[in-house]
Amino acid sequence: MMAALQMRFGLGRQSFVGGFILAALVILIGLIVMAAAEKAQIRVANVFFVNLILVLGLQITMGNSNVANLGHITFTGVGAYVAGILVAPLAIKATGIPNAPFGLNTFELHFIPAAMIGVVIGTVLAFLTGLVLTRQTGIAYSIATLALLVIVHTVFTNWVDLTRGPIAFYGIPFKVNTVSLMLIAAACAIVARLFRDSRWGLQLRASGEDVLAAEASGVSVKRLRLVAWTLSGFVLSLGGVMYAYLVGTISPKSFYFDAVFLTLAMLILGGMRSASGAVVGAVIVTLGTELMRWLEGAPVIFGAKMPQIFGLTGFFLGVVIVLFMALRPDGLVGDEELDEMAKRLWRQRKARAAAGEDTGPETSS
Amino acid sequence: MDYVIQQVLNAASIGGEYALLALGLAIVFSVMGLVNFAHGEIITIAGFTMYALFIFASPTSAWWLLPIGIAAAIAAAVTFERVAFRPVRNAPATTGLLTAFGVSIVVKNFFVSVVGATRPRAVPTPDWLGSQIVIGGVHIQTLQLLEAAVTAIALIALLALLRGTNIGLAMRAAAKDFNTVRLMGIRANQVVLAAFVISGLLAGLAAVFIMARRGAVDPFMGFSPVLKAFVAAVLGGFGSLTGAVVGGLALGVAEVLFQIVLPDKIAGYRDAFVFLLVGAVLILRPQGLFGRKYQFGDKEG
Amino acid sequence: MLVVDRLSVAYGSIKAVREVSLRVEKGEIVALLGPNGAGKTSLISAIVGLVPSAGGKVELDGTDISRKRTEDIVRLGATVTPEGRKIFGDLTVGQNLRLGAAVRRDRDGIAADIEQMLTMFPILRERFASRAQTLSGGEQQQLAIARSMMSRPKLLMLDEPSLGLAPRLVEQIFGLITELRAKGLTLLVVEQNAYDALALADRAYIMNSGRLQFSGRSEDLLASDDLMEHYLGTGTGGHAGAPG
Repeated sequence: MMAALQMRFGLGRQSFVGGFILAALVILIGLIVMAAAEKAQIRVANVFFVNLILVLGLQITMGNSNVANLGHITFTGVGAYVAGILVAPLAIKATGIPNAPFGLNTFELHFIPAAMIGVVIGTVLAFLTGLVLTRQTGIAYSIATLALLVIVHTVFTNWVDLTRGPIAFYGIPFKVNTVSLMLIAAACAIVARLFRDSRWGLQLRASGEDVLAAEASGVSVKRLRLVAWTLSGFVLSLGGVMYAYLVGTISPKSFYFDAVFLTLAMLILGGMRSASGAVVGAVIVTLGTELMRWLEGAPVIFGAKMPQIFGLTGFFLGVVIVLFMALRPDGLVGDEELDEMAKRLWRQRKARAAAGEDTGPETSS
Repeated sequence: MDYVIQQVLNAASIGGEYALLALGLAIVFSVMGLVNFAHGEIITIAGFTMYALFIFASPTSAWWLLPIGIAAAIAAAVTFERVAFRPVRNAPATTGLLTAFGVSIVVKNFFVSVVGATRPRAVPTPDWLGSQIVIGGVHIQTLQLLEAAVTAIALIALLALLRGTNIGLAMRAAAKDFNTVRLMGIRANQVVLAAFVISGLLAGLAAVFIMARRGAVDPFMGFSPVLKAFVAAVLGGFGSLTGAVVGGLALGVAEVLFQIVLPDKIAGYRDAFVFLLVGAVLILRPQGLFGRKYQFGDKEG
Repeated sequence: MLVVDRLSVAYGSIKAVREVSLRVEKGEIVALLGPNGAGKTSLISAIVGLVPSAGGKVELDGTDISRKRTEDIVRLGATVTPEGRKIFGDLTVGQNLRLGAAVRRDRDGIAADIEQMLTMFPILRERFASRAQTLSGGEQQQLAIARSMMSRPKLLMLDEPSLGLAPRLVEQIFGLITELRAKGLTLLVVEQNAYDALALADRAYIMNSGRLQFSGRSEDLLASDDLMEHYLGTGTGGHAGAPG
């Protein structure tokens, strides 16, 4: 099977190994938390996994095509609302959305088909919007993604019959736990890593540096960006479903700028060029915001919410972004995946050891 | 008749506000390729400065708030450039955009956490801004008339600057080729500074009008108008100054039209409709109304 | 006037210029020759600070300018007429000339210099109010040189002034270079068109692959077919101009 994948998508062994190492890392985090942490910290970890899924989804499009995407949370919202409304018990719908369109208040679905429908609708929406968005380039593209976020947010807020409007939609059954979240996050890490290394990802990353050259060599940057955008929509709406099943209560502002900013900060910090960067960024920002929260002396009851980004925490997160952009725009991880980096360092060490002491630094060329 | 004139003026004043903001975005973008996501925070800073002046200095006349607000906007724009944007001046556009995004978050959170302004605070503006005048039997709000007029004057002044002064010519030249401008001995920092001063001034003017309309400040006040300005600038063709003005006015007209046409039940969707309309225009003309056919890789990174 | 001491330029890990040293004395015309990609443009870009140098030193009239900004170096009297002309296409011919004098404050002097340029380049007078991008290649080259002159440089570095021009125009531009020297200007002319450049230069440097290969008097180069053949790949009377 691997040989077939390699033929079709240009994926080598290292991509799979690296993907599984990254996934193992994610699962390790989950296992450590489950073994050692208290209930409050487990909740933090659960939210971390959801955020990690979103950051990986963002990385797939933004990291590979190297153009800022500010509207990715749109699909998270769509996934969450679709699955949440489908799965919510009839009694909840009777009080919450008695006038729901399409007879949505007349049935409730099992959580798995509901999740699947949420993800499918999110992905299809990503594909359709992608058809339009990928006609844009550069700045216009970034702003168009933002406009998309606003449009969908407007719909969430105004379609009161369907979403309860600005009021929270509650009563979604809790259907995920640390184990399922960490497994799905790990799977998304593999997907992001494989996409990055695939022929598409490779061409897309090359185009990010020189779009003209890519177009000239017959690579359709638009089509590649559409592929990345759609795949990212899939992961992001999956993350949205997970969020709804984890938190049980969703409102339009859960899927607006706070979430955009938080996930963007995570990706920038870790380094958007790699899937490892997404993981590292999500870990560090989560730890950092928890630390800030502790320093700020916030109540000890950690709700299962997105980490708070307004207030001092947000202030410092903003400062960190500005500093990183100025000093280390490729983030902590940079261009290479962690496994690639480890391999390179290992080889260099071996080479140096083999060459003996008398050779100069390796940059003498 | 009264109604028609009223609506036209509505469109002109809202459109004028977007045009002022979009123009500021376009100037900074064309000169240094930066998408200034923190443009809205310039408005916020101007608003809070007016608020601070009102609270601490209790000026005898609300008049004083206006020039101070505009000065604060210029100072904010220049400070952003000096502190945050200069280090990423030659970096890819995405880096600059994300930096500006970070600046925007820093400023918002400064007002949320340090100033503790979680809910809107009232700020007075001169009474005459809220008054109405009657011309030929038609009631017209002074604010709207002023907004349209100030926009027009600002545009003419800007045009004169760009055509008639060295720094204006240098800014236009720098939009295409910054290095050759430097070979003329013109200081890059001065050209960039000029761009930020102008964009701050235009944002300051807009801030005064926004304040007059809202009568209150909050940390998020700059976001919505600047989002519209971004859409306007993209509609006009990002980086094109003409495009920014036309895009801003067109957006104002579209908003007023939708306001009139949409039934009450779906009036809340107005912005969504406006954005969809813009999206439709961009499908037909991806480079915007006045943009050059986009050069792939051009100031993109 | 200009002393370049072991100057290097690197783009990432690629070294474009490796420890090149050269001098240009006051009133000289010096040719800097070599094939495309030899590092000539990188060298003069580094001299005026448009690209950072990776070591070495540049002095202008005894002042160390290696760490100075482009705009300050231009103000000290050294400027470049860039390769491919790089005129400001959206601005008129007149506005281009005006920007050339942006560092000066003497209104009358500027007006007089513009007049002088228009006399020297009559075509620019005809096209004075036209947008520069409507000019032909030769006209743009003239405008670019005139624009550089407007800052009253002591040292003018011309990057490939003959590039893309018809032979008749090349002759005209090179005639102009001699004329500029007569007015007291010092010139460093970067050329691929070695034969013509040597005909007007006092001395020449030849670069290849980022290194200085030869320096000497133009006459000596021209007189020796061996040298010409060896460094520039041209024999007797052959037009040099290694293409692309």
